[in-house]
Amino acid sequence: MNAAIPQSGSKRRARTADQSLNRFAGFGTITVLLFAFLYLPIVILVVFSFNASNTISVWEGFTFKWYWIAAQNTDLHKAALNTLLIGGVATVVSVLLAIPAALVLSGRAETGSGGKYLLILSLPLMLPEIMIAIATLILFTTIGLNLGIGNVMIAHTVFCLPFALMPILARLRGMDHRLSEAAYDLYASRWQCFRLVVLPLLAPGIVTGAMLAFIVSFDNFIITLMVSGAGGTTLPLYIYGLVKTQMTPELNAISTGVLLLSLALLSTAFVLTKGRILGVSGMSE
Amino acid sequence: MRISKILTALAAGTMLTATTMAAQAEGKLNIYNWAGYTPPELVEKFEKETGIDVTIDTYDSNETLLAKLKAGGGGYDIIVTAHTFIEVNAKEGLIQKFNPKDLPNYKYLDKKFVDPSWDPESQYSLPYQWGTTSFAVDTAVYDKPIDSFETLFNPPAELAGKVGMLKGGSDLIAMAELYLGVPLCSEDPAEMQKVLDLLLAQKQSVKVYAGAAALRDQMVSGEIAMTSNYSGQVQRARAEKKTVQYVYPKEGVIAWVDALAIPADAKNLENARKFADFLLAPENAGALSNHAGYANGSAGSEEFMKPELIEAPELHVPEGIKTEPMKTCSPAANELEAQIMTQLMQ
Repeated sequence: MNAAIPQSGSKRRARTADQSLNRFAGFGTITVLLFAFLYLPIVILVVFSFNASNTISVWEGFTFKWYWIAAQNTDLHKAALNTLLIGGVATVVSVLLAIPAALVLSGRAETGSGGKYLLILSLPLMLPEIMIAIATLILFTTIGLNLGIGNVMIAHTVFCLPFALMPILARLRGMDHRLSEAAYDLYASRWQCFRLVVLPLLAPGIVTGAMLAFIVSFDNFIITLMVSGAGGTTLPLYIYGLVKTQMTPELNAISTGVLLLSLALLSTAFVLTKGRILGVSGMSE
Repeated sequence: MRISKILTALAAGTMLTATTMAAQAEGKLNIYNWAGYTPPELVEKFEKETGIDVTIDTYDSNETLLAKLKAGGGGYDIIVTAHTFIEVNAKEGLIQKFNPKDLPNYKYLDKKFVDPSWDPESQYSLPYQWGTTSFAVDTAVYDKPIDSFETLFNPPAELAGKVGMLKGGSDLIAMAELYLGVPLCSEDPAEMQKVLDLLLAQKQSVKVYAGAAALRDQMVSGEIAMTSNYSGQVQRARAEKKTVQYVYPKEGVIAWVDALAIPADAKNLENARKFADFLLAPENAGALSNHAGYANGSAGSEEFMKPELIEAPELHVPEGIKTEPMKTCSPAANELEAQIMTQLMQ
């Protein structure tokens, strides 16, 4: 009985400390400023996409003109299509390669040899992107690989692999392996065990990995700039080129479109994983 | 592991399907150009006339293009680059002779672009667009007459702190050299020290070093009241803000040409030649100018150009004003330029 008293006291102290941290003077203000700093530029970007002026910093009235211009821009359409195609292929391939890699690495973790393989697979996360870009370019030039958009797909897949792998591996390591053992006890084949037990449990990790891979590919500039050939211009390359030469609110309209696409992707992933993608467990309960 | 094999095969299949889409097709033309510099309607017209499928990729700087060519060309059939890079690319074997003089529409080429200094026998290139680099002032802020680079490099009180400068080393330094009477691409450290001193003294009045488009935008918004810039960008700024005036200083202006060339490893040479010929036709050259906002190299194209472009003072250098063509600098001159830029941007 007495032993329980200090425990409840420590709980009370912990709760009080937690509350005092939440109410720390200035934390609220800092949070508001942080959100303002993060989101105000985005709000301004969206607002100025409806600007009637031909310049991005002088407000002259409301218009949808720039969205119409962007909608008519065939170069933009090609760049957007390339971005989605490259991102889609890089995501699918990197996830398909990451799943078996994660299965092997989680198995090797028990024997202790998984670490070195994981380190090798994680190199793209640690090396400066410019190094990877130059190395890939030299490789492609040396072997004479000139597949245009295909070069970008290959480079992106390699770069996206660790981003797809990490969430899958984390999910796999946190999984209760007794479930697969139970499946084997019930005479499931390895394929059945994988398809009916492991894969459904891995699904949130796969979705998270796929999203990470897609966003990394979608955003990529340096590697794309280095390795892209004819027909390989992506949205980041196209937008950067426009920044250097055009600077009209069409840029804002394009960026707003990209923002909406990102939000749509995030929302889809949020719904598919029942909120687990953002670590929100409440929705899944 | 069977699962692993199935997934790997599926991954390989996806990649193979996607990459085969990138295979070179007959009747194709791959163009590498500055962003927003190729009129889509002109491309559509060319595609309809010839049945050739055109792909346009865009870049942000001449250096990016040069790197791409050195790395194996990227599969492009036509490139558009600064005339100073034509000489470099030709020497390094990165572009090929395509004998523009044999093209049916070569007869329309403006005489001043026949056998130019950067391509003495007109074998490697054709002009795409051309213009000048000088500076512009907002007459609402400063309305006194200006006839010299003195105003730009030693701004009066009304303009101090409201100056914008092109951040590209070649543009920045060439203007200073022109003002000081120093030869372009000088290799003399003493002369280049004068250039550095001038730019460092001017720096106190400079609000921003930026790209051409950003400077145009800031000029229109009133953030800056005087800026160095390209003629076409100033013409666009004036369309937005009537008080913007392009200055033709007595020391002269820098002239540049964006030239069309064909990479050494171009796979669709005949299609590239067809496109080059297509652009020489006055009506197409006029459409190109209407889109990009600069002058073109075809005689007789004026009748196909917008009236406001024909009358634009930015596109017509007044009589008696010297136009100094940009030069291809030697490695020694480039090294001095790099040192100046490093010290200036510290």
